[in-house]
Amino acid sequence: MASRAELSNFLAEVERRAYKQALFAVRDEDSALDIVQDSMMRLAEKYGEKPTEELPLLFQRILQNAIRDYYRRARTRSERFTSLSAFEGGGEDPADPLEIIELDEDINPFAAPHAALLQAETLSIVEEAMQNLPPRQREAFLLRYWEGLDIAETAAAMGCTEGSVKTHCSRATHTLAAALEAKGIRP
Amino acid sequence: MSREEQFARQLCRVLDRGAEELDHGVTERLRAARERALQRQLVLAPEYAIVGAGGAALLGGDEQKHPLRTALAILMLLLGVALSYYWNGLSQADENEVIDSALLADDLPPNAYLDNGFQAWLEKEDSPAGQ
Repeated sequence: MASRAELSNFLAEVERRAYKQALFAVRDEDSALDIVQDSMMRLAEKYGEKPTEELPLLFQRILQNAIRDYYRRARTRSERFTSLSAFEGGGEDPADPLEIIELDEDINPFAAPHAALLQAETLSIVEEAMQNLPPRQREAFLLRYWEGLDIAETAAAMGCTEGSVKTHCSRATHTLAAALEAKGIRP
Repeated sequence: MSREEQFARQLCRVLDRGAEELDHGVTERLRAARERALQRQLVLAPEYAIVGAGGAALLGGDEQKHPLRTALAILMLLLGVALSYYWNGLSQADENEVIDSALLADDLPPNAYLDNGFQAWLEKEDSPAGQ
């Protein structure tokens, strides 16, 4: 059973990455923080007595479910509003996520004069590319490589087969490589 | 490590830096969220309570995780059964004592109840036909 200190250490260790994961998915700071908080609460309430080694996978399952719930609620809201906006007509086109990258000025990291600036720009480009990945690809990539889950654990957290995890990870890596190369960053 | 995996690890190192450089406001809200979650764990932590003067122990939570509590509850249950058995024994002894006193104090000697003729006479006296 995880003691209070162990649970605290675990949450402190994962909370920043969890927040970033949620932020990549929902693109809103407040919503991302809400998702992380709900996930922490759920973990503490329902699985607080579980052994420490089981916490990472449990937390990731809860977090991914919370993100999917957010998508579902957002989709329901947007369907409601679409039916009303059809009468108004002439509205602005919804923003294309890829447009964000296209609108950015060209950044050549090798020409940047200052290392810190280079790092900040690289980080910004990588995070934007991550945001623009299809949700399942991003989920697989982050769980597998950032959270360090193995393929079976990633499949369990995502509720899919191990084959799907491999496919999602591979596609995500290629999509990211292409997006970064377009910005002048090569692996 | 494959080239693909190597690239993924490189990206994760960049992402790590992003996670390290969160705004102070965000890290504070995360810390507060963590504290709230930990408090929730404490509130819902299984506890057992002593109820009433009898001191009956109630099990709380998952007993598999708390063998001491399970043992304590079983001990209390056995103690309760033993007390109940003892108490019933005392009551029975009291009743027997009353009956014995009544028999000995009665004018009719106790041996009369063992006499078949006396039993037959009693039944004859009680039946309506005998009156």
